[in-house]
Amino acid sequence: MKNEVLVQAQDLCKYFKIGGGRMLHAVEDVNLEIHRGETLGLVGESGCGKSTLGRTLMGIYKPTKGKLIYDGKEVDLTRKKERFAFAKKAQIIFQDPYASLDPRMTVGSIIAEGMEIHGMYDEKRRRERVAELLDIVGLNREHANRFPHEFSGGQRQRIGIARALAIEPEFIVCDEPISALDVSIQAQVMNLLHELQEKMGLTYLFIAHDLNIVKYISDRIAVMYLGSVVELATSDELYANTLHPYSKALLSAVPIPDPHKEAQKHRQIIDGDVPSPINKPKGCAFSSRCPLACDKCREAAPQLREAAPGHFVACHLV
Amino acid sequence: MAERVLTIEGLRVSFDTYAGEVQAVRGVTLHVDEGEVLAIVGESGCGKSVTAQTIMKLNPMPPARIVDGSINLAGHDIVHASDKEMQKIRGNEVAMIFQDPMTCMNPTTQVGKQIVESIKLHRHLSSAEAKAEAIRCLEQVRIPNPEERAKQYPHEFSGGMRQRAMIAMALSCNPKLLIADEPTTALDVTIQAQIMELLAELKDKINTAIILITHDLGVVAGIADRVAVMYAGKVVETGTTDEIFYEHKHPYTEALLRSLPSTDQGKHEPLMSIPGTPPDLLAPPKGCGFAARCRHCMQICKEEQPPEFELNAGHKASCWLLHPDCPSAEERGAK
Repeated sequence: MKNEVLVQAQDLCKYFKIGGGRMLHAVEDVNLEIHRGETLGLVGESGCGKSTLGRTLMGIYKPTKGKLIYDGKEVDLTRKKERFAFAKKAQIIFQDPYASLDPRMTVGSIIAEGMEIHGMYDEKRRRERVAELLDIVGLNREHANRFPHEFSGGQRQRIGIARALAIEPEFIVCDEPISALDVSIQAQVMNLLHELQEKMGLTYLFIAHDLNIVKYISDRIAVMYLGSVVELATSDELYANTLHPYSKALLSAVPIPDPHKEAQKHRQIIDGDVPSPINKPKGCAFSSRCPLACDKCREAAPQLREAAPGHFVACHLV
Repeated sequence: MAERVLTIEGLRVSFDTYAGEVQAVRGVTLHVDEGEVLAIVGESGCGKSVTAQTIMKLNPMPPARIVDGSINLAGHDIVHASDKEMQKIRGNEVAMIFQDPMTCMNPTTQVGKQIVESIKLHRHLSSAEAKAEAIRCLEQVRIPNPEERAKQYPHEFSGGMRQRAMIAMALSCNPKLLIADEPTTALDVTIQAQIMELLAELKDKINTAIILITHDLGVVAGIADRVAVMYAGKVVETGTTDEIFYEHKHPYTEALLRSLPSTDQGKHEPLMSIPGTPPDLLAPPKGCGFAARCRHCMQICKEEQPPEFELNAGHKASCWLLHPDCPSAEERGAK
């Protein structure tokens, strides 16, 4: 069943206090559904809140407002027990494979730690699981006794993946898992993630800024701008029938590794930078850079609505 | 005929470390003409940045050491140039923009002053003239309100603006060659598009030669005239952008291009990945550097380094498969 909702965000907000009584609105009123077994791509520029949303959806951050609903039940992250149980279902793969592994632990203990905490299996079986997991992610069983510094970036990312898989989660947030890797290694990790999804029926939230990669791996894509989701559609629909002006600019800005296509392409360049999430513009967040912005855009913030079946967009002009 | 700005021949650069000699660049031959963009692509550690830094002699020597080869930049012999001569050449003949514009500017000095500094050093203008020139430079890279902006400090600039200011600074003394080392890697795609458009525009306007170092083949497709693909300290293939993208002959170039998802690629068709990792340049392989990861690898590839074969004028590749005596794919039993 592809349409069963596994993770749902309802008016989810995450603000950070930044001193002086001011708030940084990292994620604002996000409504999102992630279906079981699908890959939802989340794209946007740096600072748009995509990592914060990812972390909130898997319980690292407590939402300031709004609800996180997992498998039909609301997750109350203030309760320790519930948080603990939720942590077993949702895991994350981090961007930086150098910073996300404890340099003083062996690879074996890094992978086994989650199982220990959740009281899964006895010690002997855990060791076997570690060996199995290393096989699954394409490393050698002997690597369990080594330390992270002995591995290359791509191999470390595989260790991170093995760690996330160890406690048999259903939902994995991939927070830019390949942007720190070289092109040839990226393809290895992408293929691995895809293979694992087929085998284990995992659900991914795939955060990235490389749109070619996101299009390739995702079933549906959500585009974020300054804390809000501005467009959400299946990946083919999003590319074929882009509605939001920001998505259009973002997609046309992506360089295509093909000189002929690149020469023909009409590139829509948007001026300026992303405004600060501390002092957001009134109305539509994109109005300060949007080539089509009118008075209405500067007054009222548009809501995400269904413009075509399954295609959601937040823009007054669509 | 465009003037040749830079010629590098047989350049070898090594780093002396405690673990031994790291042969970062192992025989690179390149040239760039006036008004041309040469892209150097390759994975991290393939020697592309070291090559570029050696052109400006920016890598500290020791531990770096030019083992062999020659660099001719607009008539200057870089390999044998003294520190004093290099100071004159940097800025005047060649300038560089870096990946991270924040760490490359002085955070305690106004942006305008930093540009004035290099103008005064190289161009013998009065303070007032230099200041006007700095503002003109900022205007040229399309920074709004250049007069105001010149008085601000780097932290008051956004990432894209800082990169523009860096370009302004690099171009302030009209260098013959501009080296851009991953100029857009730290930037977002919409900002990247702005910067690449600016570079393309400046190239046409001031006719500088540009060396663009990057790992993003999409960026290369958009701006480069010629491409040099580097792997394990060597240029494995070089040619015009079209030749590299459509008529590549080296298996590494092919693998690199195929490992990217193309826009019309079917969903969930596995990407072609390159197994393994690049070789350790502390002990570089005896034969072809790519042999261990290459799916066409033959016995000779492991034993002897392939010579460079010229496919047609300017398009060269170093691979044993191109040797006239090389058995055909069927004879090798290739997949």
